[in-house]
Amino acid sequence: MPTMSAQSAQSARNASTPRVNSKAVPLTQLTRGQRGRIDCTAAGSEDCSMLRAMGLRPDVSIQMCRLGEPCIISLTGDCGGGCRIGLAKDIASRVMIHIDE
Amino acid sequence: MPTTSPDSLATSTRRTIAVLGNPNVGKTTLFNRIAGIRAKTSNFPGTTQEARIAHIRLATQDHADTESVLIDLPGIYSLHLDLSESKVCADVLDGTAAPAGEEAHKPDALLVVIDATNLMRNLSIVGESIAKRLPTLVAVNMIDSARRRGIHIDAAKLAECLGCPVVLCSARTGEGLEELAEALAHPKIPDRTAPTDQLGIERWADDIYAAVSMPTDQSTEQPADDKLTDRLDRAFTHPVLGLLSFTLIMTGLFWMIFKLASYPMDWIDLWFGAVGSWVGSLIPEGAIHDMVVDGVIAGVGGTVIFLPQICLLFFLLALLEGSGYLARAAFVIDRALRPFGLSGHAFVPLLSSHACAIPGIMAARAIPDKRDRIATILVAPFMSCTARIPVYVLLTTILFPTRPLLQAYAFTMCYAMGIFAGLFTSLLFRRTILRGKSRPMALELPSYRLPDLKSALLLTFDRGVVFLKKAGTLILAISIVLWWLGAYPHSAPTQAANDLRAQAQSIVDPEQADTLLAQADALDTRNAAANSFLGRIGTTFQPAFAPLGYDRQLTVGVLASFAAREVFVSTMAVQVAGSDDVDDDTVLESIANATNDDGSPIFTYATSWSLLFFYVLASLCLPTLVVTAKEAGGWKWALLQLGWMSLLAYTAAFAAYQFIISAGGT
Repeated sequence: MPTMSAQSAQSARNASTPRVNSKAVPLTQLTRGQRGRIDCTAAGSEDCSMLRAMGLRPDVSIQMCRLGEPCIISLTGDCGGGCRIGLAKDIASRVMIHIDE
Repeated sequence: MPTTSPDSLATSTRRTIAVLGNPNVGKTTLFNRIAGIRAKTSNFPGTTQEARIAHIRLATQDHADTESVLIDLPGIYSLHLDLSESKVCADVLDGTAAPAGEEAHKPDALLVVIDATNLMRNLSIVGESIAKRLPTLVAVNMIDSARRRGIHIDAAKLAECLGCPVVLCSARTGEGLEELAEALAHPKIPDRTAPTDQLGIERWADDIYAAVSMPTDQSTEQPADDKLTDRLDRAFTHPVLGLLSFTLIMTGLFWMIFKLASYPMDWIDLWFGAVGSWVGSLIPEGAIHDMVVDGVIAGVGGTVIFLPQICLLFFLLALLEGSGYLARAAFVIDRALRPFGLSGHAFVPLLSSHACAIPGIMAARAIPDKRDRIATILVAPFMSCTARIPVYVLLTTILFPTRPLLQAYAFTMCYAMGIFAGLFTSLLFRRTILRGKSRPMALELPSYRLPDLKSALLLTFDRGVVFLKKAGTLILAISIVLWWLGAYPHSAPTQAANDLRAQAQSIVDPEQADTLLAQADALDTRNAAANSFLGRIGTTFQPAFAPLGYDRQLTVGVLASFAAREVFVSTMAVQVAGSDDVDDDTVLESIANATNDDGSPIFTYATSWSLLFFYVLASLCLPTLVVTAKEAGGWKWALLQLGWMSLLAYTAAFAAYQFIISAGGT
């Protein structure tokens, strides 16, 4: 097991963390191109496990690429590059995020 | 059972290597690179999951050319999700499941393929794999793509963190593949561990990611193809543009299936016709001659003729999937299907069902939610398959003989009615026995790329073989049974036919004599059809179909259609005209003008509408029921499908017939 202290791991996670709004809002409130950090997913337990496994887990940075049905977000890098996930509006509205300031 | 000790690997003669990874990480491309074309698709018994298997030779230090079995497992996000593919992968790693034809035991090695452009998420499945304590090798794929985006990964540090070998590679460019093949011969049980709970693994993945990823080069510009991907995504999922492009692409797909498949279908038809004549000339007239020519060759030909359409459908769908478009199309169609309790995942199965319900139902395997999947399977046979086309052609021609525009409207109505009945069925079932909302879609959108022709061809070949094996054997058996029921017992020539023949002998004009002889033959054939086992079954069941306006001969046609719908036209031809050559216009005319024993026409206006409704809605295909039972997980679903479709078909046909009769129609 890599021997990394909890403190250094936390600082590694937050190294490039921009300041975020403290209030969590539904993902669907992001505008196109805006970035945010996932707070939690309020979807059903099956959907929640699936979303977490797909990479939508707390503290992960995302960028909104397309609003509406479906809503498209980028998990890594800019829109168009890296990992893009399409979400039905119904499920996207249950993913809570902190919008980057 | 092979042990998982690395020491024992050197002495083992045949090793099993499981290939695991998230979807869209280039796992199958990497597998094809290593395995070449020697791979085959195999099912996991008792599930709808499948894997590709290849026998390869790897040169190890201890043994040159060690034979290894490479198993490409389904792409999964986690081993612990409540999904069939996750369970299958977990069972394979635990040694309790194996693809058909392989012995179930713990794999001797595990190759975990991860995406270099999305390392943080992919590390979770590496953590889960490490916990299995198998000799492991991690391939960090798409390293070329990661570099272009300014992502740098410290492979040595990653190997140190994971405690097992790590190879940076690109299946697309071939970079690192030699090193990977070498490393495959020497996997190692990781000397590190990972947490087993989800939160623990996430934290563990974050820690490793922070340790191995070099700071992103902020000066790297967004690659041009990324901008294009973003634009295409917005166009293909746009409410108007998305629907328009979807319609265009699907029209093109259908056009190619119907247009291009017609050539090989004609060749197959001609070839089987020639083989039938040739074999027929070798075997003396009699029961064996009839069985081989009319039963075996006609039965095999009748099945193989659909092969070009099936292959073309799977080939084009594989190309579309490989291009990355299908994931976007699923979202477009999701908007339309959701109100009826179906998800966008149902789109490919329902589209495929317009060619044939069997591959359509098989394609439903990809639907993650079980209730969504069963609803799709139950609905699929309502889509008008190609086997219905000959029946639609016959009945619309009878209904509107001189009005092609009305024929076209009636034809379109049949397709629309099938789709409407399917959506209504889904709505009903999702509110009763399959209660619950359709699961909202969450799909990874893979990058657009040129589809891999080789992968598409390999998949098409596998699907073609599966179709021939599954449907071919069954339809062949049914064709022989149906031929036998229709041909036996033999009937002696009738008195009326003998009188006609005697009359023909006394006539000088050879043309008139031939006409009389043909009439005599037709009378005998019709009599034989009426007295055959099939004819007697028709007489027995006719009262049940009387309220729909069907006489004995139509009842036989409908009953024979349970083997396959298209059998209706040839069965009617045999019964009424004494000839089964339905390509001949005059035969279609004689079906249209056929009369009952009392001289009244069989195909009245009311009867024809009644039959048309019946054929749109009825579950007249035994192979479909067999596949439904297999894919939905039990005969109860196949029986429900049969019962429900029969009920709908009977009710609609009854209503149509009685309405027209009561309105003064004929």
